[in-house]
This record gives sequence, structure tokens and C-alpha cells, in this order.
Amino acid sequence: MTPQGIRVVARQEFTIRIRAGRWRWLLSIWFVLLLLVTALLKLSVDNIDTGDAQNKGVVVYGGLTLLMLGLALLVVPSLGAQSVNGDRERGTLATLQVTRLTAGDIALGKFVAAWGTSLAFLAVTLPLVGYCMFLGGVPLLRVLAVTAVLALLLGTVAAFALCLSSLLARTTTSGVLSYLVVFALTIGTLVLFGLGAALTRENYTEVTTCPTEQQLIEQGVPEADRPNILQGCTVSSFASSRTRTDRVWWLLAPNPFVVLADAAPQLPPETAAEKKVRLADEARGISRINLRQADPLGALGRTVRRLRSKPNADGLILSVLTGRGHKPVWPWGLGFDVALGAGALWVTARRLRTPSRVLPRGQRVA
Amino acid sequence: MTAQGVVAQGVKRRFGAVEAVRGIDLTAVPGEVTALVGPNGAGKTTLLLVLATLLVPDAGQVTVAGFDPVTQADEVRARMGWAPDVFGLYDNLTCREYLVFCGEAMRLAAAKARTRASELLEVASLTEHADQPVHTLSRGQKQRLGLTRALVHEPEVLILDEPASGLDPRSRVDLRVLLRRLAATGTAVLVSSHLLGDLEELADRVVFVDRGATVGEHRIDQLPTNVAPRPWRLRSLDLPALLAALARTGYDHDEPTPAGVDVRLNGDEAAAALIAGLVRDGVPVVSCHPLGGQLEATYLELTT
Repeated sequence: MTPQGIRVVARQEFTIRIRAGRWRWLLSIWFVLLLLVTALLKLSVDNIDTGDAQNKGVVVYGGLTLLMLGLALLVVPSLGAQSVNGDRERGTLATLQVTRLTAGDIALGKFVAAWGTSLAFLAVTLPLVGYCMFLGGVPLLRVLAVTAVLALLLGTVAAFALCLSSLLARTTTSGVLSYLVVFALTIGTLVLFGLGAALTRENYTEVTTCPTEQQLIEQGVPEADRPNILQGCTVSSFASSRTRTDRVWWLLAPNPFVVLADAAPQLPPETAAEKKVRLADEARGISRINLRQADPLGALGRTVRRLRSKPNADGLILSVLTGRGHKPVWPWGLGFDVALGAGALWVTARRLRTPSRVLPRGQRVA
Repeated sequence: MTAQGVVAQGVKRRFGAVEAVRGIDLTAVPGEVTALVGPNGAGKTTLLLVLATLLVPDAGQVTVAGFDPVTQADEVRARMGWAPDVFGLYDNLTCREYLVFCGEAMRLAAAKARTRASELLEVASLTEHADQPVHTLSRGQKQRLGLTRALVHEPEVLILDEPASGLDPRSRVDLRVLLRRLAATGTAVLVSSHLLGDLEELADRVVFVDRGATVGEHRIDQLPTNVAPRPWRLRSLDLPALLAALARTGYDHDEPTPAGVDVRLNGDEAAAALIAGLVRDGVPVVSCHPLGGQLEATYLELTT
């Protein structure tokens, strides 16, 4: 396997793809669709009475990103799902295999082409991302992180599709199965998590304990109040039940939406100045939405982090709001997805190795 | 020095329950064109796939250009050109782009790949179509392009599966000339084909295979004669007189057609005797010639 070999195959695949498809149209439709989404999000944000108009980009960017991922998951499988078995059907694969290109060259070259094409879709949306940054509240670091994770996720899906096209003889079968893989990653993980969580339901007894005088002193309770608290306190317990999502959170981790949302760096919390304004508003009976709290990516990320945490962990209620103090989910999810994608590429290269010993049923060499 | 060209001994390959190749022996020598002949399903394509480093044989010894196609596939690929019985071209590339790509896939330097592509376009008489996309080519042109792809790295061994199928007579002659020229420069050419008439003028040697096994290996100029009765076609100005004469002398013949009357004869002497007899009887014979060549007769005798 050599860089030149991969480049020769990738360039070839790119040329063929560009000439075969109506890319200009596809990319235009893609852009217009996301442009509409952006416009609608902007309009709805304009309708919200907020105290932080300089953060309008947060909600628009979050919504746009999640939708882009959803659409990309519909497009990307088709970019690789016919790559190998389609070439077999046309009789072009064997002529490639008898050249001095290795199986790795061919597999990686095809992958680079499929991934690169999917990145073109990402690139087209960059102006919209720029607009979100212009609207405000979207730090560059967030855009870089989200774009990198998005690119990795699309690469993973492209690798799955390529692998299926090398495993299956029929292009339609591999196409359908690629979409099933996407379904498994998105809806499947959600269903599994739900079912898994139901199994973790447990009964528990909550015991309220009484503080010692020393603890009251440490918490700064005035001396006059202490006897009342100590005498009025009785040790009590009540039975309840709860779901231990901290045992099954990993079922949700590979979900691309979860990975993307959780990997987006959390936005800075409310500043002292903002808090002052908010409190003043509340005193006058005005309730305003903090746009940074309404960030779709942040909200989803905080939710899955909370699911990962043990119940009654210290400072739970507070951390639900800030998202702090919880362990992230995305490194596991992204690591799992990328490892699976790498495995898929390895399988693809193995399947392309010649001379071959076994042929799948109904498959011709040339 | 190891054996050059192609040497295959006792090659076997099965696909599940089907034994596609059950023991083929074959040699193709540098400087010669070797024909691989046999009925459909005789295992020709499977054998060629083994030689072309695409299939692992179940048993047997194979060397191509002196290397083992299983354990030394890359060495073989650097020295062997293979053209399958399908075009296997990319429709959206131009002829030149395609050949340059094939050259680069063979690890030729970019500049070398370009000059080689121009040379090969000349060889395939495709220069005027060089910058047209492949899908605009005719069948014969595609076939020629597919063949030149196999020549991109100037291989020592050339393996062609049905290279002439679907070609018009002119292109078949061109192909014959090209292959003879390659053989003359020391290439070992191995061709499988059904066009026995062409092979008779093209090949130096012929290997007959049937049901996955070699059933005969001959030099074309030393094909066994008198293997079996073969049809000869007679034409006469007076058909009834000819039929009457044949009936009298007891020759077996087919229904007469506008082209003439076919009679089964055992070799050249029998033909000469028949003509002498007919002339003696005053039948106005216009022509008498064997149908199909010696190769076809041998083929029909050896295969089932």
C-alpha cells in the first residue's frame, strides 16, 4: 500500500463520480434546503423575547448542524454502497486487481473518494455556518470541533457502506443494508437504550440523615438556630424506584447525534453581568429566555451526560443546568464509531485481496 | 533460470460442488502464440483467472513469467497483461485518460504513462478517438482499447480471453497482425477463442481442453490428420446429376442447400478419389472444398 497507489485510485474514482452524477444539482438542492432551514430558524429566534440578542447564532447553528447531520446520513450511504460490487458488475474491478495496486490501495482510494464527496456536501454549507457566527454566540472553537466530528462521522458511514459493497454481490442489497446501518446507529441505539434502561429499574430506600452540630457550624448556621434543627430532625426513610441509566448510557453513545451534540464544546455559563440583568428583569416580572441555555447541541449534550451520571451524585441538580461535573459521553461514542469504521475498511481491503480462495455465492471474478 | 512464459501443470479448481478445472496442463512459450480451445464451460476462463493472479488454484503447479501467481502475485502482475472477456472499461473517461490511469496503476511514472498511452492509442488505431469518452466507442474499438490496456507495461506474458469475439473481420485481421507482431518480439501470448478459422492462421500451438482437463496439445502445423470424417462441400452445375452420382457410389450426404451438397470424407485421399470419380461420370463439378479447417476437425474430434 502506497500513498501514490491510493491517490491514483482516488483520483480515478473522483473523476468518474464527477462525470457520472449531476453534482451541481444535488449540491444546489442540498444548499437551498439548508438555507431554508437556516432562514426559518433565524425567524423563530427573532420571535423569542431574549435578554441576549447577541447570541442568536447559537440556536440557529445548533438546529442547522443537527439537521445537516440528519440529511448527510441520508446522502452518504449512497456514495459508497456500490463502489466495489458495482465495479464487479461492470467488470472493472478485476482489471484493477491485476495491476500493481494493492488491495489496500484500492480500498483506501475508494474510501477517500466516497469520504471526499461527502465532505463536499459539508463544504457547501460553510457559508451558512459563517452566517451563524455572524449572528453571534458561536465561538470558532465550537465550529471547528463540530465540523471535525461531523467529518469523522460521515467518514465512518462511508466506510460502512464501502465495506458492505465489498461483502455483498448485489448493489441493491448493499444499498439497503447501508441505510439499515444508519438506522441502527440513529434509531436503533435509541430503542436499545430505552429497552436497556427499563431493565435497570431498581427499588431503593432513601434515608435522610441528621446533620451533626459540627456540620452546621461548617455550613455557617447561626448558633441560635442550631438546637432547633438538631432537635427537630428525625431520621426517616422512604422507598422509591429509579432507573439506573448510568449502567446503560453506553448504548446511546454511538448515536451520531449524541456524539455530535456532546462533542460541541459547552458554551460559557451566564456571566455576572447577565445574571444581574436577568434578576432585575425577573424582579419586574419579565421572564426572558437565555439563548445559550436553549442551545440544541448543549441541551442534548447535557442530557446524555446526566444519563451517564450515578443518581444522587454530589451537586446533581445544579450540574443539570450547567452541564458541569458530569463525564462526557462523546469520546466513547466517537471512538466506537471510528473504530468500527476502521474495521470496516480493514474488512474491505481483505475482501479485495487477490488471488482469492473463496468467492461468495453468485459472484464472478471477472 | 526459471521457466519463462506460462507453465501450468495439473491445475485444479472447484467452485462449491462444481469442478471447473480438473487437471489442465499447458505451456505457452515466449515468442509463440498459444491457443486455448474448448467448449463453453470447459474451464478456460477459470484457468486464465488462475494465471492472471485472481484465483488460487486448489492444486497444481503454475508459473507465469517465472513467478508463482499465488505467492508472488506482484512480480507476476509486473510482467503479465490480461484482458478478460468483458470490456471492463470506465465509460466516462476518455481513451487517453483511461490508458494513462492504467499506466499509473502499473506504477509507471506519470510522464512515461502519458507517452505509453499515446503509443498504444496508435497501436489500437484509436488516435483520432483519443479524447472521446469511452462510451462513444464502437464495440470493436472498446475491444481494442481493452486489449491495449493489457499492453500498457509491455508485458512478457499476454493472456487474452476471447479477444476476437464480436469483432468485425477487418478488426480480427488487425488483431491477428498485432498478436503475431508481439510474439515476434518475444512475448508469450496465450489466447482463448472459439474462432478456430482465425486461430489456425494466428497460433503456433494449440491446447484443447474439455470438461476441465487438457485433451490435446499440438503444434498447428502438426495437427493429426485423418482423425475423423469431416464435411466437404461439393458444387455442381447439374445438381440432379451430382445427387444421382453420389447415390450410385454410396456416399453419405446432407440435404442439398443453395451453397452445395456436404459429403463426409476421410481425409484428402478420399476427396481426391471422389472428385476423380465424379469427373469420370461426367458430373460438371465446380468446386470441392473442406468445411472448416483442420483445427475445427480436431476440435470436434477431441471435445464433446
